Amino acid sequence: MSHDEVAGRLESYVRRQFAVSARDTRFCRSAALFELGYVDSVGVVELLSFVQQEFGIQIPDDDLLSDEFSTLDGIARIVCRLGGISPPGAP
Amino acid sequence: MSHVRIAGALDHNFAWTGSQLAGPELSEPDAPLPVELRGAYAGVGTTAPHRHRLVRDPMGLNKLFWAAGPDGSVVVSARPCRLVAAGCRFETIQAVPAGAAIDLDFSSRTARVAAIAGPARRPDPSANAYTVEAAAEEIRRTLDEYVAGLARAAPEAQAFVCLSGGLDSTGVAVLARGHFRTLTAVSFDIAHPDGRPSEDRVTAERLARDLALPLRCVTVRPDELLDQLDGVLAEGVDWRDFNVHAALVNAALAAGVAAARDGQGPALVLTGDLMNEFLVDYLPETYRGKVYYRLPRLAPTELQDALVKGLASTHREVGPFERCGLALVQPYAAAAHLYLNLPAPFLLEPERKQRLTRLVFGDAVPPYVFTRGKTRAQMGDADGSRGVLALCVDRGLDDAWLRRRFAALHQVEDLGVLDRFLRGGRYRSGVPLAEAHA
Repeated sequence: MSHDEVAGRLESYVRRQFAVSARDTRFCRSAALFELGYVDSVGVVELLSFVQQEFGIQIPDDDLLSDEFSTLDGIARIVCRLGGISPPGAP
Repeated sequence: MSHVRIAGALDHNFAWTGSQLAGPELSEPDAPLPVELRGAYAGVGTTAPHRHRLVRDPMGLNKLFWAAGPDGSVVVSARPCRLVAAGCRFETIQAVPAGAAIDLDFSSRTARVAAIAGPARRPDPSANAYTVEAAAEEIRRTLDEYVAGLARAAPEAQAFVCLSGGLDSTGVAVLARGHFRTLTAVSFDIAHPDGRPSEDRVTAERLARDLALPLRCVTVRPDELLDQLDGVLAEGVDWRDFNVHAALVNAALAAGVAAARDGQGPALVLTGDLMNEFLVDYLPETYRGKVYYRLPRLAPTELQDALVKGLASTHREVGPFERCGLALVQPYAAAAHLYLNLPAPFLLEPERKQRLTRLVFGDAVPPYVFTRGKTRAQMGDADGSRGVLALCVDRGLDDAWLRRRFAALHQVEDLGVLDRFLRGGRYRSGVPLAEAHA
């Protein structure tokens, strides 16, 4: 699985679970999920559960509380790192 | 000079090893750890100027935070606000991880971390031999042993039980009767212009009569309650509305208990906390057409896991009582391992709490407690119009306001800093001297 596939699955989940409109032009993989209100404090728990079930990965506290864990791209990077998946651009 | 400095008092400890209360010896560097620890514990011990231990219970019920001091020391406190007052920046504050015993050696600048096992669901549900009936029997035995142990440890204690009129607090009142020098029930209500008491208050009065307990009624005016907001934000270490609202109720109860102390012994306040997490007995609430206290949309066992883990990142129960110098005891924690290993299908039963309460407490809980609708302390009445939620919403004290106020109280200007402190039910946590981690 590539970084792009991981990010794609995360994006589909967030769009579906948190009812993000297909016409929302602000929403993208670099959008700040929490600051912009796409995912609330309860939604984070749902997101963590999804990551665990979908990718078999438990997110450590350091990653959960990092700036990286605030966008779809950032979460995908964390998942890839923890899952031993090559980052984007890697040979 | 000690390398670890404690800012303010630590919380009272009531963790149970399965046979006794865990004492201060657990905090001594290199002291052996119990096989399992259930309930609240946070401690700091020192055997030499350079050797220290930091301990926090596996469920994270008691809180312990730290930050690096400017001189290479470590400042430890039960509350982040005290670390901020001691000169530490909020951005640098971390929690001691739940279930960790950290031995620090400042002569070698190393930290050795040992894990303390806590109550958890067994990974293989088929290995669970307990039926609900067998679990209930074991739960009752464990709770009785625990409360008896508490009473032995504090024979002169003046005990109080927070009585909401619900099943959980009634169970604790039943357990505690006869164990302490005195036991007084305490009931919370908000004063309303019509003078009509809440359903919780009416039931608590009836229960106190039936259980032959004296009742201390704590009835607060709305403004009086909201005056506690800064205190509960700081002592509850949380800004999320559900937890702040619960902490406001507890702050009022704590003030009522503090005023009722007879001064002839330590005060112990017992509550029915934790049962809602163990049995996943929460529902969202609606007020003025808007939904509050939303729950994660997860399967029951996952939700139970999330709710129990979330206890480590709020101090809504203990914090407000400790602020009044009162020790809060959550007896159900002693049987956490049993509640967490109830058969998974049981969590899907609509009447699971009633069934388990009947099995654990038999006829000691009066029938009318089983049949009344569940009312949250934050709601007051079934329609919620007389509770803390309504009060805060009507005054515009919403989630965003609480978050801003928490930030201001901790000298935080960038609200994004809060997201790096508490997210997904977890506090930022870490180990002092981790750069030299052994």
